[in-house]
Amino acid sequence: MATITTERPRTSPEQAAHARRQRVRRQRLAPILYIGPAFVAIALIIGYPVFNAIGTSFLNASLLAPGQDTFAGFDNFTGLFRDPAFWVVMGRTLVWAGAALIVQVGLGLVIANTLNKKLFARGAIRTTLIVPWVVPTVLVALIWRFLLDPVSGPINEVLRGTGLWENPPVWLADTRFVLGVLVLISAWKWTPFTAVILLAGMQQIPPEQHEAAMMDGANAWQRFRNVTVPGIRTSLALVTLTTISGAINNFNGIWLFTRGGPVGATEILTTMAYRTAFTEFDFGKAAAISVIIFVMMMAVAVVYFYVVEGRKGDKR
Amino acid sequence: MTTRTTRPRRRDRRYASPGAHAFAILLLLGTLLPFTWMVLSAFKTPMELNGVDKRLLPGGFYLGNFEKIADTNFFTYFLNSVIVAAATTTIALLLAILAGYGFARFTFIGNRGMLLIVVAAQMFPAVMLAIPLFITVKTLGLLDSLTGLILVYISFALPFCIWLMRNYFMAVPVETEEAAFIDGCSRFRALWQVVLPPAMPGVMAAAVFTIIQVWEEFLYANTFIDTDAKRTLSVGLNSLIGEFTTDWGRLLAAGVLVMIPVLAIFGYLQRYVTQIAGGGVKG
Repeated sequence: MATITTERPRTSPEQAAHARRQRVRRQRLAPILYIGPAFVAIALIIGYPVFNAIGTSFLNASLLAPGQDTFAGFDNFTGLFRDPAFWVVMGRTLVWAGAALIVQVGLGLVIANTLNKKLFARGAIRTTLIVPWVVPTVLVALIWRFLLDPVSGPINEVLRGTGLWENPPVWLADTRFVLGVLVLISAWKWTPFTAVILLAGMQQIPPEQHEAAMMDGANAWQRFRNVTVPGIRTSLALVTLTTISGAINNFNGIWLFTRGGPVGATEILTTMAYRTAFTEFDFGKAAAISVIIFVMMMAVAVVYFYVVEGRKGDKR
Repeated sequence: MTTRTTRPRRRDRRYASPGAHAFAILLLLGTLLPFTWMVLSAFKTPMELNGVDKRLLPGGFYLGNFEKIADTNFFTYFLNSVIVAAATTTIALLLAILAGYGFARFTFIGNRGMLLIVVAAQMFPAVMLAIPLFITVKTLGLLDSLTGLILVYISFALPFCIWLMRNYFMAVPVETEEAAFIDGCSRFRALWQVVLPPAMPGVMAAAVFTIIQVWEEFLYANTFIDTDAKRTLSVGLNSLIGEFTTDWGRLLAAGVLVMIPVLAIFGYLQRYVTQIAGGGVKG
């Protein structure tokens, strides 16, 4: 960067014109200088791989035979679509995302609504509730795998001790319960985030609206239903988007607990793609699965922007 | 940017019902009990943990579990994560400050357009990019190195950090830097000396966001790193869980040690955490 001294010598007209030209050129260049480095990093690490992944999904590509990729057309996709196992995983992914949405947004609404009231030590409560969100999933996995451990874990111990359940299951190894348990653990980690966003939305609602509703004799539920919910529509839409996309994209929340097991009971599209790529080394098929995930993401995003855009009149 | 409305709290309002407080206490218990149980159990002897001498509280301050961590590579994993987090955060923030300023002052991409790009970038399936990134990182000769991970993490942190910085820079009046220009300050120096200070909360929020992401990340660290001594904490801890499945004492002690810096950083920067969530709503 050229430095400009404070004491400028008197300049001739030519010099002034030259300086002006230089300044104009610098101004044109400036955006590139500022945005360029970040752009290069994003293009190299996100942009290029996206196109590469889409390309790979149309190839017969294997890590075991590098450099021998052949064009496969839609074979990777049609192969998946004809495979009943793929549809089972697809169905489970949708159930996983739907359950995440119901639990996390439902509970998030209740929590946010509670925190929006005047509680003792409200700030401290809110801070404490966010802690699971900042803890890495691997630690969440460590804690919950211990809590659910059939020998040392306290949960089964309590169930047996209180006589609630004589023979409690091995939660993470039982195909009947494992997916539900993972949904709940995931909610334990992610609901605080949902609640914080919803709370921020609720705090934007002018208190006069609540007071007016109270004056009209509305009870707590009616006020929640008719004042709070409409007031946080934008936050609700955002939270719905992040929860669905987060669940479909979730990998750690499954892999670090069960690796998709037992016997595939918690396999969703992301773990299937990873397994296909790095244990079966079928890059083409794995890329096809991930492109399908990508298309689902885009569909969710399009719906989101359609919904938000459709309410342009609303104040954000 | 939204116009700030008045806060809904009013001083004269009475406290919420006992029911609401009971529910809050329930939430606190649900949040804190798992952590508490981990900490308590980390100080239990194997006998106390595995059934022979079961008890709620540890009998004494048993430190054997913590001593056993020294037999593993845990502290190497820990150090690796600190290095990766520090390097990623520093570089990502420098780039994001430059780019955020660039977007705030030079371009005419609207809020909605920017948000669209950021959301899209956040939504790319990590698994989708794992294969091509594996090849890219390999081509760059950065496979099995922390540098490769840092490069990848920077790029993934950037979209959100840029957006956050842009929003904060937009809130700084252009007049402040124009005054600096008249005083003979270059644009570049004005950015660091005049525009950045009022936007520091944005920098902190972006830093918190980046650190959380780096500590969380498992997929790429697991795929790109082969050597045990180069593993980061999430991958390393996961491998320890696989290795010592029945030795919960040792694992929980490691868990306590992972928890300490997370809580320290969080306690220091927690108000910025809410801003990250808030940043998502501001639009």
